[in-house]
Amino acid sequence: MSHLRREIVKVLFQRRTYVGWAGLLAIPFIMTIALRLSTEQPSEGHGPPFFSSIASNGLFVPLAALAFLSFFLLPLVSAMTGSFVIAGEAETGTLKTLLTRPVSRSGVLLAKWFVAVLYVGVGLVLVGVGGALAGWLLFGVQPLTTFSGGQLGIAEALRLTALAYAISLVGMACIVSLAVALSTVTDSSLTAAVGTLVIVLILQALGQFSYFDFLKPYLFTARFEDWFNLLRQPIPWRPIWEALLVYSGYIVVLVGVAVAVFRRKDILS
Amino acid sequence: MSEVATEVALTAEEGRPAVEERRPEQEACAGRRVVLSTHQLTKDFKGLRAVDHLDLSVCEGDVFGFLGPNGAGKTTTIRMILGLIYPTQGHVQILNHRVPDQRLDALRHVGGFVDVPAFYNSMSARRNLRILGRMSGDVTEARIDEVLEMVGLSERGDSRVGGYSHGMRQRLGIAQALIHRPALIILDEPTSGLDPQGMKDVRELVRELGRQGTTVFLSSHLLHEVEQVCNRAVIMDKGRIVVEGPVSELRPARMSVKFLTSDQPRAAEVLGRLLGVGSIAESGAESLRVTAGDGLVPEMVRHLVAEGIDVRAVVPAVEQGLEDFFLQLTGASSEGNDQ
Repeated sequence: MSHLRREIVKVLFQRRTYVGWAGLLAIPFIMTIALRLSTEQPSEGHGPPFFSSIASNGLFVPLAALAFLSFFLLPLVSAMTGSFVIAGEAETGTLKTLLTRPVSRSGVLLAKWFVAVLYVGVGLVLVGVGGALAGWLLFGVQPLTTFSGGQLGIAEALRLTALAYAISLVGMACIVSLAVALSTVTDSSLTAAVGTLVIVLILQALGQFSYFDFLKPYLFTARFEDWFNLLRQPIPWRPIWEALLVYSGYIVVLVGVAVAVFRRKDILS
Repeated sequence: MSEVATEVALTAEEGRPAVEERRPEQEACAGRRVVLSTHQLTKDFKGLRAVDHLDLSVCEGDVFGFLGPNGAGKTTTIRMILGLIYPTQGHVQILNHRVPDQRLDALRHVGGFVDVPAFYNSMSARRNLRILGRMSGDVTEARIDEVLEMVGLSERGDSRVGGYSHGMRQRLGIAQALIHRPALIILDEPTSGLDPQGMKDVRELVRELGRQGTTVFLSSHLLHEVEQVCNRAVIMDKGRIVVEGPVSELRPARMSVKFLTSDQPRAAEVLGRLLGVGSIAESGAESLRVTAGDGLVPEMVRHLVAEGIDVRAVVPAVEQGLEDFFLQLTGASSEGNDQ
């Protein structure tokens, strides 16, 4: 617990923490205001998923924001957050300050990983709450029409929206884990962040070609849309559980690699 | 006797500093507890040997100087002692704990820093100390105040470290090393970047720690600094110990002095006739730089005065660099370079 407390305090004392959160909070508001002020409404199939439905129901704003952010901005935030975990502290020299204390390297790394995921989680909460608030203020809320044509009450829609955010957080935790793993092999947080994004983009590209369909079930990036299933009636839980299983596999392997590398790493910077 | 020990013995025969023979750690400490020792400690980086089978012992209460020029392997050794890097061969022993195997137990007894001390810039010095101190055990606010006072940062303890000067960071580095009252304090070039007053303060602090019985391991490339604060020292070069022993015995047998006189040609002529005088060279308008054994200085003054040459002052020449001393130790002359 002391590792976690220390890492949380450190994050809360960094200005960039609040800049990142403020940016994420602003996005659903910007999106909603832009749509409200626009004279033309986006038609079905244009813009990000759920975008065309926002004007009819503010409850779609947090879903549209999540779908919009999941493909680049959230992976970017996750990559940057994870890459700073070890490499960032190596750059500033504080890693050696920490490790000259009697602390377990595994404990330090796991606490840092957890706090990085927590940071992304808080960011997602801000997007979700901001989106719901902006949608309610500018377009009002009403029962939500699902892909299957049925209606969800406002409370149930909000509950499923929260679940969609939670599932996405596990997906982003894969990216954080990848960034943390790369962060243990380089002393440059930029290199780790760029490396993470390149790998994520390659995985996303692989998911776009039918030739690589056999890989698709195992690519965590191909699972970023699986939460859409929450908006079907009845909910097909199988793809959602499969997505969580794939995410968990990546997380366990990547964090395991990070711990193994970090335990034997020579701290030179 | 090891190859290194043989080398040291030879240099002693040639009139260079007398040094201790390499010997088992317990014997080196003469009954005192060994706080830190290294055993055949070796580190290779991509084929380059940075530290080469290093054996040294630091005894309880020592203020131990760890001298060497840049690239000698000092920082690499300190990193291995602090468990930051893994030895290629050998190990470190801190009290009863081996590093790296028992790093956590060992580090409970150690405080220190390597290279430039680094902190969380967005936090105050006090909060940094609280966070770092608690990683080593219970640290009270009173103790934080105490160490801030010791390093002269009481008034800036609540300021963000991001606004600190290099010297203030060095002081804070010492404060975080002391915060949990460790048995062994390791300081890597603690006066680096400090102004003269800051250097004086830090050296006095190290001396005071020594007087209190705290064992200090002080890395430096300044011979005079080690002379001022340490009782024992080793000098490293190319990853190996070149000289080891009491600090009083580490001084080079020959030194450079400057005679301030208005009659340089005659003074040079008189001094040139004396046995044991090495190089003589004009050094500025009214100054003559002479290399000789320090026991010869009174005799040189007597001769100059007897010849009617005014000697306004005799001062040590610019502090002899460690590099020069190394050259002397390894048999090369530094005199040509001096001139």
